[in-house]
Amino acid sequence: MASLKPLDIYKLLPKKNCKECGDPTCLTFAMKLAGGKAQPGQCPYLDENAKAILGASTRPPVQKVKIGVGERSFAVGEEMVQYRHEKTFIHEPGIMTAVLDTMPADRIKEITTDVRDYVLTRIGTDLRLNGIAIRCESGNPGEFSRAVEAVESVADLPEVLMSIDPLCMEAGLGVSGNYRPLIHAATHENYHEMCRLAKKFSCPLAIRADTLDSLADLSSKCATEGVSNLLIDLTSTSLHEVLNRTTAVRQHAVTRQTPALGYPVFLDCAQQGLDDAFLITGVVKFGSVLVCNPLSQPARRALLVLRQNIYTDPQKPIQITPGLYRVGNPGMDAPVLLSVNFSLTFFTLQGYLEASRVPSVMLVVDTEGLSVLTAVASGKLQEAMVREAIAKFDLGNAVSHRKLIIPGYAAPLSGRIEDATGWKVLVGPRDAADIAEFLLQEWKP
Amino acid sequence: MGISTISDWTGQIGVLTIGAIRAEGGTRSHVVRIGGEKDLPCIGSPPTGHMPVVAYEIADDAGRWPAVASRAAGEVSSDPAAWARYAETEIRPDIIRLYLTSTRSHGFSDTAGIRKTIEEVLQATSLPLIIEGSNDPAIDSEVYLTIGEAAAGERILLGTAEANRYRSVAAAAMAYGHSIIAQSPIDINLAKQLNILLREIGIPRDRIAIDPYTGALGYGFEYSYSVMERIRTAALKGDEDLAMPMISSAVDSLTVKEVREAEGDDADRIAVAWELYAMLPAYLAGAAIVSARHPKTIPLLRDACSSIFQAHHGGGE
Repeated sequence: MASLKPLDIYKLLPKKNCKECGDPTCLTFAMKLAGGKAQPGQCPYLDENAKAILGASTRPPVQKVKIGVGERSFAVGEEMVQYRHEKTFIHEPGIMTAVLDTMPADRIKEITTDVRDYVLTRIGTDLRLNGIAIRCESGNPGEFSRAVEAVESVADLPEVLMSIDPLCMEAGLGVSGNYRPLIHAATHENYHEMCRLAKKFSCPLAIRADTLDSLADLSSKCATEGVSNLLIDLTSTSLHEVLNRTTAVRQHAVTRQTPALGYPVFLDCAQQGLDDAFLITGVVKFGSVLVCNPLSQPARRALLVLRQNIYTDPQKPIQITPGLYRVGNPGMDAPVLLSVNFSLTFFTLQGYLEASRVPSVMLVVDTEGLSVLTAVASGKLQEAMVREAIAKFDLGNAVSHRKLIIPGYAAPLSGRIEDATGWKVLVGPRDAADIAEFLLQEWKP
Repeated sequence: MGISTISDWTGQIGVLTIGAIRAEGGTRSHVVRIGGEKDLPCIGSPPTGHMPVVAYEIADDAGRWPAVASRAAGEVSSDPAAWARYAETEIRPDIIRLYLTSTRSHGFSDTAGIRKTIEEVLQATSLPLIIEGSNDPAIDSEVYLTIGEAAAGERILLGTAEANRYRSVAAAAMAYGHSIIAQSPIDINLAKQLNILLREIGIPRDRIAIDPYTGALGYGFEYSYSVMERIRTAALKGDEDLAMPMISSAVDSLTVKEVREAEGDDADRIAVAWELYAMLPAYLAGAAIVSARHPKTIPLLRDACSSIFQAHHGGGE
């Protein structure tokens, strides 16, 4: 089913312009529905046919699935787009660290505790690993439940229970089934039993098959059994195939060509020698639950930051609060550098200033999150706002001199800034990488 | 049913050739071709277009280079020719990218020195080269003409042209048969404008690589990632002014706080992670050439890119 256009939706509406939905006309309501910004239920006068059509086509094309309970539980799915620049990606993938049921209980507890406690704070946000995947390597229900107990004994983290043997799975669910673990995995051979367990414990279920057609068939079979909280396992030993399949699944989901593939994607990234590559591909290319071996400190930091970057909403660029920012321990004779509140510009300049080891003051003005070049071009960076910022942030009392270094790309404004502020303007380099050299050669208070 | 990727693109990325073998008037052992794709990166079996290219970046003045990168290369980092030889034999990238960082010293005038450096590097390695010149308009003309001439016949990729200073780079490229890198600050429209400017002064389409500028991981990388995806999809939809292959370099990766504040082996490990976790996504977003400075990043990046490109990984040569 293709996505409906505003006019197609409009034809299904009562065209009364009654405003009861909160919109002035049925047409504006139709446009909101098409953009996913309104729900069909807001219209009290829809007939049954319209409800059926709109209900199916305006729900997110990727099913929402919640894993775990409590504070650390997380949701995946609800994605609307193929590319983050089209709108935004919605739910970050959950990163699930794997333990084996053949490991000693102490080792399992050690890994679980590390995942429970690890936190990386960046730009005011706590970034964490999400949970534990418990692999049944033993093939023994007793061993498997013992491993789940070891995990449960130290943390209330979301879990993936991994076994294709329904007996082992039932033993594991006997321990943690009430905490909504992800059951992995149902296949064409075992899906009756796995669906029974998923219903009994109200748990989400991952499905596995060799081809996309076979997966679409299996997801329909599970839905018929009454299980619709599904994830699709697209793991392959070939990373090329992983990329092609995750891309295809997202395309078929968001275009609604194959609703039976409209589920979040599961990937087992514990692949010999290529763990990083699988995780990276999973994060940028549509993965929702990623299982991995315990990660080194550098890899987990890079992974969490990459995930944060990719799942940042591009419609809301991260802006820095305008103000004075001190680098090092600037004295009254420290150089002052004008910059803008675009996060990338700010962090880049700040990084190079720190590296220069010259203590300095950054005067950050509000360009509504635009970079220097685009702010100059669009008139969002102007001499008047520099003058106001100097007064507002009391720059005159922060330094004893009256010199302002402006970005190279703002050179066209140098005269006007000088006239408006009375401060002497020095035109700095265009590239922040050259700031150390510039300060060394040019800066005298 | 045969469910597979949906590909209804009409455009194709142009092909750019770097390096020239003897029969073509150069001295390289082989050439590198990038571009040619008719789809998103690595989609289809086999994928359309050319193999991924991983560039190892070195500098002629290691004093102006991230310490973690030059330290990892060891003694060779004091001699660009030795560094290039070490790159080819030990690090095994697809291409070497030489930054003439000496030109960034205040009052630089030693063009004879960079001529000698380029000649020695060309002797020391048979890999195709990317050479990055000055970034001061006052010396651009002299520096780029020197590079262009010293590498005449070798069909290097010459960097870097920007919207307000592209003439020197372009003139040197046209005079000596090289291609150029066109860099714009993370903006699809500015990338397109620069390509139009370059076309208007006579640079053929197949001699341009787009560099949309790549912010470091955690420091604006997401903007670069999306601009690359936008440039790629615009090209596939038929915009010929954006249908050039892209080059991405994590130029700021090794100066970010995470790397600067790490010590000892940790610094190397975090440096490698920071480069790998930006450059592999850049490749997935559409960059044909991905670059790194830490020698240990190169084999990891090559393995990762080639396994994404190929249905069966393990080859690579």
